[in-house]
Amino acid sequence: MTIDRVSGFALLMIAGFVAVESRVLPLGTHSRPGAAYLPLVLAASLGVLALLILFKGRSALPFGKIKWTEGRHALAIMGACFFATFAIEPLGYRITLLLILFFLFGVVERMKVWWSLPLAFGLSFGSFFIFDTLLKVPLPRGGLGL
Amino acid sequence: MAETLQNLLLGFSTALTPANLLYAFGGCLIGTMVGVLPGVGPLAGISLLLPTTFGLDPTGGLILLAGVYYGAMYGGSTTSILMRIPGEAASVMTCIDGYAMAQKGRAGAALFIAAVGSYVAGTASVIGLMFLAPPLARFALGFGPPEYFSLLILGLLVLGYMTGGSMVKNLAMVVLGLLIGMIGIDHMSGYFRFSYGVVALGDGIGVVPVAVGLFGIAEILATAGQAKRPEVIKPKLRDLLPSGEEFRDSVKPIGRGTVLGFLIGIIPGSAHIISTFVAYAIERRLSRHPEKFGKGAIEGVAGPESANNAASCGALVPMLALGVPTGPIPAVLLAALMVHGINPGPLFIKEQPVIFWGLIASMYLGNLVLLLLNLPMVGIFVNFLRIPYRILYPTILMFCVVGVYAVNTSYVDVAIMSIMGLLGYLLRKFDYETAPIVLGVVLASIIEMSFRQALAMSDGKYAIFIQRPISAVFLAAALIMILLGLRPLIQKGINRGWREHLTKAEKGE
Amino acid sequence: MRSRSWILILFLSAGILTGWPGISAGEYPTRPISLIAPFPPGGVADLTARPLAAALEPILKQPMPVVNKSGAGGAVGMQYVAVSKPDGYTLLLALSSISVMPEVDKLFGRPQTYKKEDFVPIALLNADPTVLTVRKDAPWNSVADFVADAKKRPGEIKYSSSGIYGTLHVAMEMFAHSAGIKLRHIPTQGGGPALTALLGGHVEAFAVGPSVIASQLKAGTVKVLGCWGAKRLASLPDIPTFKELGFKDVEFYIWAGMFAPKATPPEAVKILREATKKAANGPEFKNAMEKLNTPVYYLDGPDFQKFWDEDAARLAKAVRNIGKVQ
Repeated sequence: MTIDRVSGFALLMIAGFVAVESRVLPLGTHSRPGAAYLPLVLAASLGVLALLILFKGRSALPFGKIKWTEGRHALAIMGACFFATFAIEPLGYRITLLLILFFLFGVVERMKVWWSLPLAFGLSFGSFFIFDTLLKVPLPRGGLGL
Repeated sequence: MAETLQNLLLGFSTALTPANLLYAFGGCLIGTMVGVLPGVGPLAGISLLLPTTFGLDPTGGLILLAGVYYGAMYGGSTTSILMRIPGEAASVMTCIDGYAMAQKGRAGAALFIAAVGSYVAGTASVIGLMFLAPPLARFALGFGPPEYFSLLILGLLVLGYMTGGSMVKNLAMVVLGLLIGMIGIDHMSGYFRFSYGVVALGDGIGVVPVAVGLFGIAEILATAGQAKRPEVIKPKLRDLLPSGEEFRDSVKPIGRGTVLGFLIGIIPGSAHIISTFVAYAIERRLSRHPEKFGKGAIEGVAGPESANNAASCGALVPMLALGVPTGPIPAVLLAALMVHGINPGPLFIKEQPVIFWGLIASMYLGNLVLLLLNLPMVGIFVNFLRIPYRILYPTILMFCVVGVYAVNTSYVDVAIMSIMGLLGYLLRKFDYETAPIVLGVVLASIIEMSFRQALAMSDGKYAIFIQRPISAVFLAAALIMILLGLRPLIQKGINRGWREHLTKAEKGE
Repeated sequence: MRSRSWILILFLSAGILTGWPGISAGEYPTRPISLIAPFPPGGVADLTARPLAAALEPILKQPMPVVNKSGAGGAVGMQYVAVSKPDGYTLLLALSSISVMPEVDKLFGRPQTYKKEDFVPIALLNADPTVLTVRKDAPWNSVADFVADAKKRPGEIKYSSSGIYGTLHVAMEMFAHSAGIKLRHIPTQGGGPALTALLGGHVEAFAVGPSVIASQLKAGTVKVLGCWGAKRLASLPDIPTFKELGFKDVEFYIWAGMFAPKATPPEAVKILREATKKAANGPEFKNAMEKLNTPVYYLDGPDFQKFWDEDAARLAKAVRNIGKVQ
C-alpha cells in the first residue's frame, strides 16, 4: 500500500465521478461538440494516467510512512479557513478575523493574552482600514456593523 | 527611424510634465502594492482607479492605469519569493525557485534578479512596442481558434514534460486542473456543468483562489507545525546582492524570457501565465544543471519574471495598434480612453500621437522608477522573513483571506481557497507537483472554446488544425515533444535517458 | 487589564453606533445608495453606471457608489438585487440581457435565478440598435446581397457573438429567422474577442452596438450593412433598418436601464424617477454618453415598463426560436 497506489486510486475515482456526472450533458456532433465532450475526454485521460500511477506505484513510499507531525497545526489552520468562509459575511470581516487570529495566536501558538489580543485586534482592524477605507475594496460588515 | 525619435521626444516632453510624472509614480506605487498583496491583482487595482481617471486628462489617466498594470508585475514576485504565495496568478512559477532560494538565504538575490529581469524585459518590450506595434498586431490577428488550440496543447505538453517529478503524475495534475476549470457555465451551449445550483460557481472557479490556496495556504499548512524553522540571520549587504555567478547565469534567461513573453503576450486573448510556464520549462531544458531547478536555481526566477513583464507589455500591442482589447485589463484601459471620447482604433497612433508616445515614454520612465523603487526595498523585504514564523503565518493567512475575498467580494472564493489549500497540502504528502493544476485551471476554458470554435469554423472537419500553417507548426512541435519524451522508453539499457537521471539525482540517490 | 476591557467596550460601541443601519430619520434617501453594475469594470454597463451615479449624487444629496458584481453573464449581480432588502438603497443598472436570462433558464428547465417581475423599472437611459457589420473587403454591399449569398450557401457564412444567448447572438438569430437564412454561429468570450475574430478573418460578420466599431468604421476596416432599429441611426443615416427592408419583426436594442427591487416603497421609487429624469437629461450625463458614442434615450418608469415588456416579448420569442443549441 504505497502513496502512489492510494493517490492513483483516488484519481481514478475522480475520473469516474466526472464521467458519470457528464452523462446528463449532450455529447454533440463533430461540428458542434457538446458540453460533455471535453469533460469525457479529460475523464478518460485522467483514468488512463491514474491507472499508470497505480500500476507503477509499487516503488513509492509506503502509505503508512507519511509524516503527519504538523497535522494538528494544519487541522487548526484548516478550521480557521473554513470558519472564515462561513463567518465572514454574517459576522463581518473584522470580528471574524479577530476571532481567527486570536485563536491562532492565543490557543494554537499559546502566546500570552496580552500579546495575542492586541496583535489580533491590530491586524484585523488594521487590515480592514487599509483595504476597505484606504483602497476602497468593500469588505463585509456583518450584522453588528463590524 | 528619425520620425520615431522625433515622436519619442514628443512623448518624453509629455511624460516629463510634473503631473504625468506624478501619475506614473503613483500608478507604479499602487501597482507594486497591489501586486504584493496576494489575490488582489492588477485588474482589481485598475478597476478601482478607473473612476478616478474620469476626472483626469486622457494621457494622465492612461499613464496612471498603465503604471498600476506593469507595476503589479514587479510586486507580484515579492510575496512569491518571500512567502511562496503568488502575488497574482502569473507569479506562480516564481514561487517555486524563488522561495527555495529564500529558504537558502538567497532571498535578496532572488528579489534583485527579479527586479532587474523585469526592468530589462519591460524596457525591451516597450522598444518592441514602439517600433513593431502595427505589423505585429496584424500578425497577431491571424491567430484564430485553431492556432490557439495547437499552441495551448503544445504549452501543456511542454509543462508536463519539463517540470520535475514523474511525467505521468504531472500530466495527471494538468488534467485535474483542466477538469476543475470545466466547472461552471459552458459558454458554447449554455449548460451549467458541475455547479450544482451554486450561482457563484456558475462562472467557474477563479484562478486566484486556486493559486493562493494551492501555494499560500498549502505552504502554511505544511510548515506551521514543524518543530523548528531555520531563522534567517540579519543579512549583510553582500548577501542582498546576487553573486557574480548568479548574475552571469541570469543574463541569457532574461533575454530568452523577454522575447518569449513578448511574443506570447501579443497574441490576443492568450493567458500570459503560459509565458511564465514555458519560460521556466525552456530554462530547465537548456540548463547544464537541471537538477537545481525546484531547489533554488536563479534561472527559474529570471526567466519567468522577465517573461511575465514582457507579456504584459506585449498585451498592449493589439490594443494600441488596432483598438482591439486582448483581455480584461486592456479592456479596462480602452474604457478609460473611451470615457474621454477617444476611441482607439487602427488610426489611434496617427491621430493621438501625444497620448501614444506619452504613454510609451512614460513606460520607459515607469520601468526605471520601479527598478529604483524595488531595489532598496529588497533590504526591507528580506527583514520581513525574520519575523518569528508563529506570528508570520496567521498574518499570511489573513492576507490570503482578504486578498481572495476582495477579488469578487464573494465568500465562495474563500471556500475554494480553503479547499485548494487542503488539496495542495495532501498533494505534497503524496508527492505531486501543484503548479500544473494552476495552469490547467487557467487554460481550461480557452482550450475548450478554441477547440469547439475551430470545429464550428470547419464544420466538423478535424483537418483544420493541420491545414492552417501556424497551427500545423505548433502541432508538429507537440509531436516532437511527445516523441522526445518517449525516447527513454525506446533507448532501454545503458543510456537511461535524461529525465530518469534527473529524477534520480533529485531523489538524492 | 480592566482599562483594556473598557477600551474594548468603547471600541465595540463605537463600531455598533457608526455601523448600525437606519437609526437616522428623515426623507429618503438618508444614507448612501449602492448602484449595482452586474458586469466587470470597463464594460458598457459600468461606463453608463458611473456617469449616472455621478450625476445623481448632487440631486439626491447622498453618495452613490457603483458596485461591480459580475458573474454568470450578469446573473450574479441581478440575483443579488432581486433578493436584496427592498428599501431603496440597492439599485440595479442592467442591460437588455436581463430579459433573456430567465427565458434561457426556462428553456433548459432550470429554476430561474430571478424573474423579470422581481424588478420595477426606474428609467431607461440609452437604447442603441445593433448594426450588421462586415469587413471592408467583404463581397456584400447591402443586406440583400448578404441574404442572397446566405440562401445560396446555407450554414456557411460564419458570424461571431459575445456568447451563446448573448445580445449579439440573439440579435443575429432574430434577423436570420426573419430572413429565412441559416448562418453559422461562432461564440466567443465577449464583445472584444468577437470584434477580433471579424478583423482577423476568422468570421465574416457580426451584430454589434455602433459605439464599439465607431473607430473601426472611421479607419475603414469595416462596413455596416443594416440596422436593427425602428428608425435609422443619427450617427449612420445611410444605413437602412431591417424594418424598412421588409423584415418587419426584426428590432433589437442594446439598452441600459435602472431598476429597483419590486417591493421598494412607492415614495422612494417616485423620488428616484424624478431624480433620474433630471440627471439623465442633464448636460454632464449627456456629455459623458456622447463621448462613448451612445446617445441618451430616456424613458420614465411607466414608459420604460411598456418598452421593456415589448422588448422582452421579442427576445423571448427569439430565444425560443433558437432553442437548445445541440
